Amino acid sequence: MSTPHAQPARRTSSGPGRILVAVYAVFALSASARAGVQLGTKFSEAPLAYLLSAVAAAIYIVATISLARSTPGARRLAAVAILLELVGVLTVGTLSVFDAAAFPRATVWSLYGIGYGFVPLVLPVLGLLWLRRTRPAANVVA
Amino acid sequence: MIATLAYVVLVLALLATVWGLLTAVINKPPGAAQLIFAAVVELVTVLQSIIAIVNLALGFRPVELGTTIGYLIVIIVWIPLAWFWANSERTRFSGVVMAVAALSVFGMTLRLLTLWTPVPA
Repeated sequence: MSTPHAQPARRTSSGPGRILVAVYAVFALSASARAGVQLGTKFSEAPLAYLLSAVAAAIYIVATISLARSTPGARRLAAVAILLELVGVLTVGTLSVFDAAAFPRATVWSLYGIGYGFVPLVLPVLGLLWLRRTRPAANVVA
Repeated sequence: MIATLAYVVLVLALLATVWGLLTAVINKPPGAAQLIFAAVVELVTVLQSIIAIVNLALGFRPVELGTTIGYLIVIIVWIPLAWFWANSERTRFSGVVMAVAALSVFGMTLRLLTLWTPVPA
C-alpha cells in the first residue's frame, strides 16, 4: 500500500505490520491472562518463573501498543520493548536448558518458547527487522 | 465442554485459518462470506464457552480451574478483535490477521480439550 504523500516513516501498524501487531496482541493478552492466573493462584510454587511471566506479559503489551500507535516516540518504545523481549527469550531460554530447577514451571520463554512453536523466539527478530524496514531514513521513495 | 462441539470448533477454526491465508495469497481483503464465516466460528466458540462455564457452575472441577476459566474467556476475544483490526485497513494482510485469530481459537481449543480433565477423586 502506498500513500499519495511522501511520509517521513512508514507506519509500523500498516501493511505487513498489521500481522505483527496481531501476533503481538495474541501474546500480550495470552501472557497477561496466564500471568494473572499464575500470580493469583499459585505464586508460591515458582515465584521466579511466575514473575517472569508477568514481565513477559508487560513487554508484550508495550510492544503491541507501541507498534500499533506508530508515532516516533512509540517507535522508540517499541524498539526498547522488543530488544528486552529478545534478551528475555534468549536468557530465559538458555537458563531453562541448563538449569531446569530454576524454572520448574513453564513460562512463555522457557526453552525458547518451544510450547508456542518457537514464535516467541522469532517474533522479536521479525519485530526488529520490521522497525528497521519502516524507519524514517530508509523511506526516501516518493 | 462437549468434545464433539470442540471438534466442530477445531474444524471451523482451521477452515477460517486457511481461508484467511488464501485471500492473502490471491491478494484480496476478506470478503463478506469470509467475515460471516468468522462470525459463525465466533458464535460456536462462544456457545462452547457458555456450556463449559455452566458445567463449572454445576460443579465440574478440572485440575487447573483458573487456567481453564482463563482459556474459556480469552478464546472468545480473538475473532472480534481480528474483525476490527482486519477491517480498519483492508488489504491482503487483513486475511492473515483473521487467520492469526482463527489459529489462536484452534490452539486454545486443543489445549481446552486436555485441560478439561476432572480432579482425580
